[in-house]
Amino acid sequence: MMLDEPQLQQLLKLKRFEQPPPGYFDDALQEFHRRQRADLLRQSALKIWWERSTSSLGQFRIPAYAYGGVFGVFCVLAALVGSGALNPGTESGLATLEAQVKTGSAGRLTLNRQFEWGEVERASLSLAPSIAPSKASLPRYVLEGRPVSTEVSLSF
Amino acid sequence: MDDASQPDDETLVRQTQGGDTRAFDVLWQRYSPRVYSLIYNMTSNHEDANDLLLEVFAKAYRSISGFRGKSSFYTWIHAIAVNMTINFVKKRGRRVQMSLDDMDANVQNDKDYIEMTATNTPLREVDLSELQKRLNEAMMKLSLEHRAVVTMFDIQGMPHAEIAQVLRVPEATVRSRLFYAHRQLQNYLEEFRNK
Repeated sequence: MMLDEPQLQQLLKLKRFEQPPPGYFDDALQEFHRRQRADLLRQSALKIWWERSTSSLGQFRIPAYAYGGVFGVFCVLAALVGSGALNPGTESGLATLEAQVKTGSAGRLTLNRQFEWGEVERASLSLAPSIAPSKASLPRYVLEGRPVSTEVSLSF
Repeated sequence: MDDASQPDDETLVRQTQGGDTRAFDVLWQRYSPRVYSLIYNMTSNHEDANDLLLEVFAKAYRSISGFRGKSSFYTWIHAIAVNMTINFVKKRGRRVQMSLDDMDANVQNDKDYIEMTATNTPLREVDLSELQKRLNEAMMKLSLEHRAVVTMFDIQGMPHAEIAQVLRVPEATVRSRLFYAHRQLQNYLEEFRNK
């Protein structure tokens, strides 16, 4: 004979009596408190660690716009270096120097045209020592095989 | 303290939200046996029910600041318990261990028990405690959703509407699940009785 619906429901209702032993819920509440306290302490330690970490990181934090600024400066520098404007020792600078000074067959430095004193007198004003050292480490002007430039050269 | 002299759930929730942990203790005392019963009848394991009970209340305590009172606290904590238990059982897999087979001594005074064990009832033919064991086994053969509905309706006596609120399903779904679960349980128990 099959259990009918009311009998099944009566049987299921009896499961209400499947209860833990007396005092269980009081003990469980104590355990709940203990776990809450432990959780609170653990959370506090984590929170302290997190706050310290974030505050120390904050001291070294670089604002986002700084990256843009650095990149902008890099681009400008790259453009200047690429155009040679900041590098007088480049090929164009050397070509200018070569046009001014020509070495003779004996390896001595000579002017590439006839010397005229008038030009020296006019140029004497511009013979003031240059602050910038010669890129070629060579005297800028040579007269009869002797350098007359005021610039210090390692060949002396 | 007598439960009648204590404040209602709404007040206790508000006090807990305000940082009064003793108010939450009252909610524990009021609802932990029912939540335990729900979890136990879904897991059939005392140790699991114990752990889950603590976790459910811990989660409720952590989340109570966000409780806006759209449902009752009772419905809300039942929903937490059902969801956590379903997730737990799905992770745990099939591990059934009945540990509360010995019923409370008060069962002897229960109206349903007296009626079922009275003479001229077919149930008297079989050992009732044995039938209870089989019922527990049959319960574990139900899906978790069906088990939850049977537990809340048949064991805890919750109305359909409240179960629907806890499970967030239409009331018709609760009724159809109950019907299907009862049919399944009857079949399982019939198999046992025919052996």
